[in-house]
Amino acid sequence: MGWLQSFRSQQTTRSRIICVLALTILALAITFFLPPVADSQLAGGAAITIVILGLSWLIGWSGQISLGNSGFMAVGAYTAGIWAHHHNSTPLIFTFVFAMIMGAISGLIIAIPSTRLRGPYLAGMTLAFSAAITPLAQNFTSITGGEGGLFFNELTTPSWFLHLFSGPDATINANAQWTADLAVVVAGVMFFVMANLFHSRTGRAMRLVRDNDVAAELMGINLPLTRSLAFMIAAAFAGLGGALYSVINATVTPSTFPLTLSITLLTLMVLGGIGTLSGAVIGGIIYSFSANLVQHINSLTGVNPASNLGANMQGIIFGALLILTMMFAPTGIAGVWPPLKRLVRRRRRLVTTNSVH
Amino acid sequence: MSDFLASPFMHNIFSGLAQGVLYSLLALSLVIIWQSTHVLNFAQGAMAMFATYIGMTQIDRGVPYWWCVIISVVVGMAFGGLAERVLIRPLYGKPEINPIVVMVGFLGVIEALAAGIWTSTTRNIASPFSQIYFHATNGQVILLSPFVIFQVILAVAIMLGIAALFRFTKLGLQLRASALAPEVARLLGVRVGRMLTIGWILASGVGAVAAVIIASGTFGLFPTNMDGLFVAGFIAAAVGGLESPIGAITGGLLIGLAEQFILSYWSATLAPLGGIIILVIALMIRPQGIFTKTVGRRV
Repeated sequence: MGWLQSFRSQQTTRSRIICVLALTILALAITFFLPPVADSQLAGGAAITIVILGLSWLIGWSGQISLGNSGFMAVGAYTAGIWAHHHNSTPLIFTFVFAMIMGAISGLIIAIPSTRLRGPYLAGMTLAFSAAITPLAQNFTSITGGEGGLFFNELTTPSWFLHLFSGPDATINANAQWTADLAVVVAGVMFFVMANLFHSRTGRAMRLVRDNDVAAELMGINLPLTRSLAFMIAAAFAGLGGALYSVINATVTPSTFPLTLSITLLTLMVLGGIGTLSGAVIGGIIYSFSANLVQHINSLTGVNPASNLGANMQGIIFGALLILTMMFAPTGIAGVWPPLKRLVRRRRRLVTTNSVH
Repeated sequence: MSDFLASPFMHNIFSGLAQGVLYSLLALSLVIIWQSTHVLNFAQGAMAMFATYIGMTQIDRGVPYWWCVIISVVVGMAFGGLAERVLIRPLYGKPEINPIVVMVGFLGVIEALAAGIWTSTTRNIASPFSQIYFHATNGQVILLSPFVIFQVILAVAIMLGIAALFRFTKLGLQLRASALAPEVARLLGVRVGRMLTIGWILASGVGAVAAVIIASGTFGLFPTNMDGLFVAGFIAAAVGGLESPIGAITGGLLIGLAEQFILSYWSATLAPLGGIIILVIALMIRPQGIFTKTVGRRV
């Protein structure tokens, strides 16, 4: 048990690898038991998890708010789409790397004028960026395909994976699951990267900049550089998430990444817990099954899902959840654990001291 | 003279200014709220849209146009007051991200609710003024209609009214005092809490007027019809520094003109970029806003 103790207390790189591996394998195992529809939902959730990781890092750790992450997602998605359009045979991993690089560059472009801004100015600036992406995509039709967007080739499931399945719907099941597994693995890798970033020198510098920028400057931290770096990393994560999202859906259009997606992302991050790794995963899981959740709430409240109100129920619920969480439980779902753990630990200590006496 | 008024250049000036006054109105409402509570109200446009839906759909029940306008503005004001009391007041003293996130959530709720109640299809509201453009004596079109003139006059009247209220009335003095030095104002007997609510009520009224004009014009009324206006209005307010009403109004007009010139000389879909280009340039030159006084930040 000594190993477990050091794993929990020290949070070393090795323990992080083990933790992420265990989580990823668990998620992969789950995909085997889910129906194809749930598998594709899970794939989308994995892509969104990557974006929320970046957002959580930006808002929770560097203290800069962004409403532009749907814009960064669009940059990544279009990079992947345009690249795939011209170089069909590029391995997926290169496409993803390109998407991350382009995301980071767009993040830098936004960061340069933004690093001197605070709070509301920054939120508005990033909102304006995210609003500008759609007209850009609509305008340069020859590159982006205009309103119709771009199409990706369907993901090819390797034959060894196909052999694992039998029965009448073997190919459908295998394809859906291969997509989900791919997304889960990418999300796992990015989770590991972010876990290390959180505890890195940059991560610590970021927190100091967030809490007291004057002290940070006195410590020799370059403020604009650190803030820009936070933006670039968040944008790279969003770019990858956007690329993965559109590869899964095999298409990217200007309407894939509307302004409301930024609100959804913010809601999921706040619900999960601002600035926490587990919060991002919780947010991703909620996203995966939000359609089912909304359906359930519709049937509970007796709203006809085919009606106008039913169709907009998701927006109403997400917005209301965002308000309620922020007002009454700003630490989110992940914030429930630490006080609970403290409570358990205190009780255990009480028990041991009693037994000594 | 009429040749000049009908020239492409003047077309752009007229359309740009007509659109610009709407941006100025929304920017002004954002500035009033920012001055009173230091919150950037992301739901400003959506709140105004919702109030306009409530007011203007009364036309279907046979209520005259002007009564509908008054209902919209009054409902908008009530919304503003309620939002400040219920959503913003519990968050004073919390990190500045919290009210932003709450108002973004409110924006999501309102837009989804409006789409749920009234559907997302565009409604056109018949205004009492004609939208047909004037013609010059030689038959050329001048890009001005009775409605556009009404739009500009109403917007300017609202701006002057707000300016007069802040400048010449006792209420205006109290509002300015509680924005500038809440502690001192409280000691001198100003009910600061009430002033903050009044600031929100005033601002939401101004926003509702902008929404009514937008809905009555060619743009029409639909749940997200204020999104573009909000972004442009925010940019206008930010260019001016979020604290200067004059800056906000100037910024709004500038953005209106920039968008119109991009639309006419480059591409219609790229017009929304006009504001962003102006914002980036303005922030590069003076990040605290063009029209603000330099204030030292206390460490």
